[in-house]
Amino acid sequence: MIYPFWDVPFSYGILMAVIAVLHVFVSHFAIGGGLFLVVTEHRARRAGDTATLEFLQKLSKMFALVSLVFGALTGVGIWFIIGLLNPTATEALIHNFVWGWAIEWTFFVVEITAAIIYYYGWQRLSARDHLIVGWIYFIAAWLSLFIINGIVAFMLTPGQWLVTGNFWDGFFNPTYWSQLVLRTGICVMLAGLYALLVAARYEASDFKARTVRYSVRWGLIGLAVVAVSLAWYWRTIPAEITGKALQVMPASIKAFHVNSWLLLALAGALAVSWLLARRLPVVLAVVLLALGLAWFGAFEQFRESVRKPFVVTGYIYGNGVPVAKAKAYQQAGLLTQIAYTTGDDGADLFRHSCRSCHTLTGSRPLRPAFDGTDRAFIAAIVRGAHLLKGNMPPFPGTAAEADKIAGYLYERIDHTPIRDGTRAYEVRCGKCHVVGAASDKSKTFTGLSAEDLSGMLDAADSLGEGMPAYTGDAEERAALISYLQQLGKQAKP
Amino acid sequence: MNLPDYEFLSAPLWLITVLHILTLTLHFVAMNFLVGGVIMVLYAATRKRWDDPTLKKFGKMFPAAMAATVTLGVAPLLFVQMVYHRQIYSAAIVSGWFWLGIIGVAIAVYYALYRSSLRSEKTGTVSRAALLLALAGLVYISLTYSSIFSLAERPDQMRQLYAQDPTGLVWNPAASDYVLRWLHMILGAVTVGGFFIGMLGRDDPAVFALGKRFFLGGMILAALTGLAYTISLRPYLPALMRSPAIWGLAVGVVLSAGALHFFFKRNFCAAGTMLFVSLLTMVHARHTVRVLKLTGQFDPHSWRVAPQWSVFALFLVCFVVMLAVVVYMLRLVARAK
Ligand code: HEC
Ligand code: HEC
Repeated sequence: MIYPFWDVPFSYGILMAVIAVLHVFVSHFAIGGGLFLVVTEHRARRAGDTATLEFLQKLSKMFALVSLVFGALTGVGIWFIIGLLNPTATEALIHNFVWGWAIEWTFFVVEITAAIIYYYGWQRLSARDHLIVGWIYFIAAWLSLFIINGIVAFMLTPGQWLVTGNFWDGFFNPTYWSQLVLRTGICVMLAGLYALLVAARYEASDFKARTVRYSVRWGLIGLAVVAVSLAWYWRTIPAEITGKALQVMPASIKAFHVNSWLLLALAGALAVSWLLARRLPVVLAVVLLALGLAWFGAFEQFRESVRKPFVVTGYIYGNGVPVAKAKAYQQAGLLTQIAYTTGDDGADLFRHSCRSCHTLTGSRPLRPAFDGTDRAFIAAIVRGAHLLKGNMPPFPGTAAEADKIAGYLYERIDHTPIRDGTRAYEVRCGKCHVVGAASDKSKTFTGLSAEDLSGMLDAADSLGEGMPAYTGDAEERAALISYLQQLGKQAKP
Repeated sequence: MNLPDYEFLSAPLWLITVLHILTLTLHFVAMNFLVGGVIMVLYAATRKRWDDPTLKKFGKMFPAAMAATVTLGVAPLLFVQMVYHRQIYSAAIVSGWFWLGIIGVAIAVYYALYRSSLRSEKTGTVSRAALLLALAGLVYISLTYSSIFSLAERPDQMRQLYAQDPTGLVWNPAASDYVLRWLHMILGAVTVGGFFIGMLGRDDPAVFALGKRFFLGGMILAALTGLAYTISLRPYLPALMRSPAIWGLAVGVVLSAGALHFFFKRNFCAAGTMLFVSLLTMVHARHTVRVLKLTGQFDPHSWRVAPQWSVFALFLVCFVVMLAVVVYMLRLVARAK
């Protein structure tokens, strides 16, 4: 915890997502678009097809502006922001992969130079030279994917690197190749979708029909590559990660499912565009592009979320605590490790242990999770964070520090007592025992009397390691007990 | 299981330092072309020279110059992060919003430069306004960098500022640390911009005169602010005087004067080379000041060195290929003309 914690009043996930998603869209599009331009230019030049050449020029204008400016700067932006949000992970990545990034930079220089020359060169360069520059552009752009793909994949599946610490083991990690093919497919698909959008703006004509069908073909080829490599990708993620996700991370799995449905919808919409080729309306092209981007967003969300509780699987937790140091922090205390303090221990501890994933009232809010409870309960939950649903990192501090966080949170919650049984269960038990899902205990309640259940609550802290003592008042207890009985009745034996 | 340790340098410190200084100098060349150029074109516009063909040509190069500035800026940022990230990220976090703002502003500057280069309307009002906007953006970016990088040289102050406000809305209050430093850099940019204008406009006496005026004036003012900044480093001055950087600086000053001489003689090759080398010495001095200011708080030699030579070799190969391909493409362009 050698770094200060940037305390902004909203979710880091969202801040990161906005810049990262923008960048990822634009950069994949820049690669696929490069291929589309140069391949199509080849064909058009050979056929002496001036209409298509004009179309390509139009395409390349937007393309140069958007991908050069937006792609390059949002790429730098990702760097800026990961340094702000998770400096420890950034530091670890830089130390290990700096030469990878340096290599990517050489491709980047070539890519930018080629893009500018290609864009300004439509009239000035000879056909042959223009094509050469186009190919150089595409190759350099794809090579930079070749590099960055290794580092992105590393974060989810560091593989043998965790044992050897060797650059190449980390780079060519278990998901490297499947993700490379997948992302290449995405590039091609997005290029087709974008070309479709430009083509849709033409008046109905033979040219339009031809161009739309041609672009649809790109979209479909990309999509086919994506569909196949997505299945491959899933298999290359170690079973420990996917297994755990299937068990306790419904959100990640949902993202993956949404993903597959969007892919199907996209295929359908592409087929419709093929049929409507001559008079493809702009709206449909926009819908297609939106579907493609939504799919891509869902994929990235899946990839990012399935990694939890880590930023680098098995190496650094989401809150920036290196796995190798967590034990030491738990023994010696986290406060001694925090270099930048504000004078409020509870707040500082909360920032460094929980705040990177939670807010108080915004996204993944903790206030509603604790409203109506007490300090002892909150402290127990903090200590047992790794047991909760959602696959969280262990609390990296001492029991006394957990209590300080509890004090900080307790001051900020609503103190109206809980009177509703469902809510009592949600707050007191549902954090670890999700009805109908992970660690469901409903069956244990079947046939138990109110006294039995009350006795169970009295002994709550001895039922499982990390399970909190029951500290609700008498009325809340009564409501909870009747809800538990109801659960016991509903449970299938 | 023993997890790999990440606290190491993947190349010897000297190598990283050399790469950092070299790429930062290249970044400064592009940045100077851009910032100096924008200032001069705007100045010329107030003198009713907006429609001058050379200046027009110059204006059309700004978007590409911005692309070059950004691209060449990535490498030094990468290399400096290898060694000094603990200081730099911390300073960036303390001023988080200003740091992040650089990205948004840079995108706006890019589009403003592009819009201005189109010159699609007769009066030029919109183009001029866009250029002015771009200049404001460039001032923001450079000032923010100066302020955050000087903050990074003062860990104690960072701690204090963070304790007062952890929300990233802190602007470095120690203006004396960076205002002169920043001003020196901007004036240096005007100098180099003058060089480029003079070179591009060598056949047009009026444009060459404009370049000359800015080259000379910029250099005098840059020298004065540079001197003032050096004096303002008082507590570190004795150590600086004993470091090799001072010899470098001395050579740099001589070379700058030499560049002026050759520029007046229209030997742009010699003048440009001297200018570049003198810029290199300034960047080296800047680096030395950072090391001196951090003395006692952080020693860059304290990193364990565990070189990744195979990857580094690949980088070198790619670097050479990069140069070759860029030169090849530029020759294609030249041939087309
Ligand atoms: C790496 C990110 C991460 C960190 C760090 C983290 N959490 Fe979580 N937490 C999650 C996720 C994801 C969920 C699941 C949210 C869901 O299922 O809706 C969750 C769920 C929870 C819940 C259950 C919310 C509910 O609806 O009942 C609580 C309570 C909680 N976290 C507390 C904490 C505390 C206290 C800390 C600090 C010690 C912490 N978390 C640190 C990611 C994190
Ligand atoms: C911090 C997480 C956590 C919370 C909150 C929590 N438990 Fe548990 N609970 C556990 C753990 C861990 C175990 C032991 C592992 C297991 O059986 O799954 C456990 C076990 C149990 C068992 C099974 C005991 C057995 O012998 O089979 C029951 C019943 C139970 N809890 C009920 C509850 C009830 C009721 C609440 C709410 C008042 C609750 N738990 C709140 C973590 C929690």
